[in-house]
Amino acid sequence: MKRLRSATSVALLLVGIAMLGWLAVPDRAPAARPYEGTTIRAVVNAEYVKYSLTLIEKDLYDALGVKIETEVIPADAFVAKTLLEFNSGSSPWDLIMFGPSNMPDYGRHFEPLEPWAAKLKLNFAMDDIVPVFAKVMLRFNGKLVSMPYDGDIHIMYWNKVAFERPENQKKFKAKYNYDLKPPKTWKQWDDASEFFNGWGWDGSQNKLFGAGASYKPSGSGYSYHWWRQRFFAYGGNYFDANMKPLINSPAGVRALEEMVKTIGFYPPGVMLFESEEPKTMLVKGEVPLLHSWTSTGKRVGNPGESVIVGKAGFGIVPGAEIDGKIVHRPAITPGRGMAVSKYSKKIEATMKVLEFISLPEQSLKIVMDAKTIMDPWRVSHLRNDKFRKLFPDADKYLDAIEQSFPLLVPDPVIPAADEYQRKLSFEITEALAKRKSPKDALDTAAKEWDKVTERRGVDKQKAFWGEKLHEMKQLGIEYHPEWAAKAK
Amino acid sequence: MMRRVGDGLTYAGLAVALVFFLGPFFWILTTSLKGNEDFFAYPPVWIPAEPSLSHYVALFTRSSGARYFTNSLVISSLSMFAALAVSLPTAYSIARWKFGGGFLSTLLLVLRMLPAIALIIPIYIMYKMMGLTNSYLGLVALYTVVYIPFAVWLLVGFLRDFPVEIEEAAMIDGCSRLKSLLRVVIPIIAPGLAVVALFAFIATWNEFLFAIVLTGIETKTMMVLVTSFTTGGTDQFYGEASASVVLGVLPAFAVAFFLQRYLVKGLALGGTKG
Amino acid sequence: MRMPALALKRKQWEPWAFASPALFLIGLVIVFPLAYSFYLSLLNFDLAVGPDAEFIGLRNYTEALTRDQRFLESIWNTALIIAPALVLELLLGLAIALLLNRVTHGRPIVTALIAVPAMVSPVMAAMAWRMMYGVKFGAINNLGRQLGIIDVYFDWFSTPWLSILAVVLVDIWHNTPFMMLVLLAGLQSIPQELYQAARVDGASAWQSFWSITLPLLKFTMAVGVMIRMIDLTKIFGLIFILTYGGPGGSTETLAFNTYLVGFKDFRMSYASALSYVIVFGVLILTLIFMRISRQREARAA
Repeated sequence: MKRLRSATSVALLLVGIAMLGWLAVPDRAPAARPYEGTTIRAVVNAEYVKYSLTLIEKDLYDALGVKIETEVIPADAFVAKTLLEFNSGSSPWDLIMFGPSNMPDYGRHFEPLEPWAAKLKLNFAMDDIVPVFAKVMLRFNGKLVSMPYDGDIHIMYWNKVAFERPENQKKFKAKYNYDLKPPKTWKQWDDASEFFNGWGWDGSQNKLFGAGASYKPSGSGYSYHWWRQRFFAYGGNYFDANMKPLINSPAGVRALEEMVKTIGFYPPGVMLFESEEPKTMLVKGEVPLLHSWTSTGKRVGNPGESVIVGKAGFGIVPGAEIDGKIVHRPAITPGRGMAVSKYSKKIEATMKVLEFISLPEQSLKIVMDAKTIMDPWRVSHLRNDKFRKLFPDADKYLDAIEQSFPLLVPDPVIPAADEYQRKLSFEITEALAKRKSPKDALDTAAKEWDKVTERRGVDKQKAFWGEKLHEMKQLGIEYHPEWAAKAK
Repeated sequence: MMRRVGDGLTYAGLAVALVFFLGPFFWILTTSLKGNEDFFAYPPVWIPAEPSLSHYVALFTRSSGARYFTNSLVISSLSMFAALAVSLPTAYSIARWKFGGGFLSTLLLVLRMLPAIALIIPIYIMYKMMGLTNSYLGLVALYTVVYIPFAVWLLVGFLRDFPVEIEEAAMIDGCSRLKSLLRVVIPIIAPGLAVVALFAFIATWNEFLFAIVLTGIETKTMMVLVTSFTTGGTDQFYGEASASVVLGVLPAFAVAFFLQRYLVKGLALGGTKG
Repeated sequence: MRMPALALKRKQWEPWAFASPALFLIGLVIVFPLAYSFYLSLLNFDLAVGPDAEFIGLRNYTEALTRDQRFLESIWNTALIIAPALVLELLLGLAIALLLNRVTHGRPIVTALIAVPAMVSPVMAAMAWRMMYGVKFGAINNLGRQLGIIDVYFDWFSTPWLSILAVVLVDIWHNTPFMMLVLLAGLQSIPQELYQAARVDGASAWQSFWSITLPLLKFTMAVGVMIRMIDLTKIFGLIFILTYGGPGGSTETLAFNTYLVGFKDFRMSYASALSYVIVFGVLILTLIFMRISRQREARAA
């Protein structure tokens, strides 16, 4: 009897332990993924962006069971095709990548995020978004409709070898009468590009070039970004309060004249360069100077292709010296945002996806990868330890970005922004190709801008622009007609 | 002697012509087989030591090349059949009964002169309203109709050469006209039909403007695929770009070989214009 | 006994029945859209602004022809491309056709090989040449450097004139084979006896060419040139891939400009008007050309 009782107690004890164990051990089978089997359609404007989405697709699937099918519409046709779809009241896509400067044209087709954030308890970590991007990339008519995806701005890169070689410094001082240093003004930039063009400033026998740029008129036009940063430093602005274009003011003409005069110091092919060609030349040590998108930094630090790892400097885009102070006006160029289409049939799933790809850890993966050309847009990206140690001087790179933030000049975020930009870029390239004088080119551009304003409705545009003018004033950016003459 | 020199010059001249016209294909082909070290090398590597198909694989998988290649195949094949099906009876009525007088030649001339851009704007608006953008049907319908006049022209030629007596004999035997067309005429002019079909295939395969405006992710064709490699410069995606060109010109090589005798007619009528 | 042609007696409806599918489709997909396009060109429909449009008559046409600098320039650019391309394609095509005509062995295969470029899409031709023109890794620059002809990277698109040249070169590569085939067919239709008679009379090869070949080839040449000219006014895919209208607007052609207006600016009505201007322009060119060649023929007869 006793043996039976003890056997039973042992058995019960064992069963009890087994039960406890079973309850404590986590489920072997994963919890059913909430959106298992769903595929959402995304549309992007370059293979790079499609590639960037593949970096998070596994985690996305593990977390939500969702797959993303991405269509690439080349940048040339992107705005046209997507807007054409939206304007006719439908779209085959759920998740839209777009350029924030086109928000006025796109915004009304996007599904507002806040109601869904409340319903699904989404966390977009809004406080972690860099303030200037939060201002420019998120809202339409006051409502939150998108999240940043790519924080494009321009910073300056230089090849330290070029600037620190004693022979170079001696030669430069002899010719220009001041010390060779990474340029802080456009005049210094032009001097440097003239100086470096046509010989082996790296000590070799190769014929190298002065500086890099992108001038192709495709997409919305690249040359506009290069021109704009001089234009604003010389006191320019897009329009005055009455929607009269100011692009052909003396500031604009001066900026364009300088570009035309110095185009000889840039590599052959520059007229049709898109974003990547000058970056390649920089990382291969063929141009010593480039101001371009922040994604360049990642390529600089990538030992797989760069010969200047650890030998590159990062700084703010040059400015103009006005009354003894240097005014920098780096540009937001234009970045990318992600939004949910109002016409989607899978809005809930897409909202979850949007939240996921915007998470600090996930978005960090995207902006850290050298092949994605996506740039940091969260404060946590810039302060992230891993990123700061990703390549030599990565911390200086991220600091340069952060220092540029307070100085940024946004695009004219009004309806027809894409058209304004295209017409202006076209005329700038006409002047660069020496088919028109800078003044004629900008006058033509101003006339084209007037035509666009008329077609959209002068009063409507004035209202939109009035808001932006006010915002820019708060950032300290105003039209200063007298600067063009006295800027040094 | 003079004749020898003349011959020598002739062969030399033709050799230069061949190099000029075929050289680019050769370069694109070898480029599509090169690896990074070969493409970016100087002195230039003209023929890679270790050719690889990795770019084709990348094109087919990452860039969805398989899907677009299939799309082009499907769209061109469907257009080819549809054009034939509709054009043959029309050609018949012109060849046998002189239907319409000079109307066909006028139509052909008009269509030859018409820039695609004149058609695409109204078609785009119409298709948007009918929901036909990004559909096989929309593109096939358009291609078929645009190709009808050329197909009819070619087929009229073939039918005119066809002896009426054989048809008559069949009809006396009790066949209706339609049946005689199907049972007797078609098998005999089958080579002619093949010619028209192949030309139709190539013309639709090469077509570009309608394709970029009217296709979407499911229906994009090879011609549209090529445009995704122009963004960012062709240096970055040289492999996929050249591979897509190789695939895009395959039909041209095939047709050139099969249709040597009919090349003039086909090209003159714009039968292969894109 | 020969049967009367009863089987051929046509029922009134048969031709119509046979042709009706084609006619219906043509009406639906070509005639109707063209008419709609003309109607559009008389409105100011602008998809960017909104779905409403009002009737403005011929204002689009007057704007295009008098105030649109960019459109007028695109006409000039197109002409700049057409002229050298036509001349060179004719000369080169003739030269190759003459050479081919002398060949007896293997002519079909050589003809087929040379014909291939004419059968590829202009988009493929442009892509292949774009890569060949590549500044750093393109075949042309690489070859030039290897042969010592150039010492630094040469940019084919650095100036407007050079870009036009680059475009013309690609078009020549793409379309000379067509011209060659047309001329070859023409050459082969010239009776051999004429040449034999001329040789008997002591004429040299050059004289035969000048007094027999050329005159008899005139009509064929005219046809070839006319077809090429019409096709050249429509040039689009080549520009899209090769230069996108650049540098500046120097290679922006008629069709390309119209495309930008319609599908980037969304000004559908204005773009329709532009495309009709192109159609009328081509029509006039064709009529002028036909009149000239008919005059020449009348005079030669």
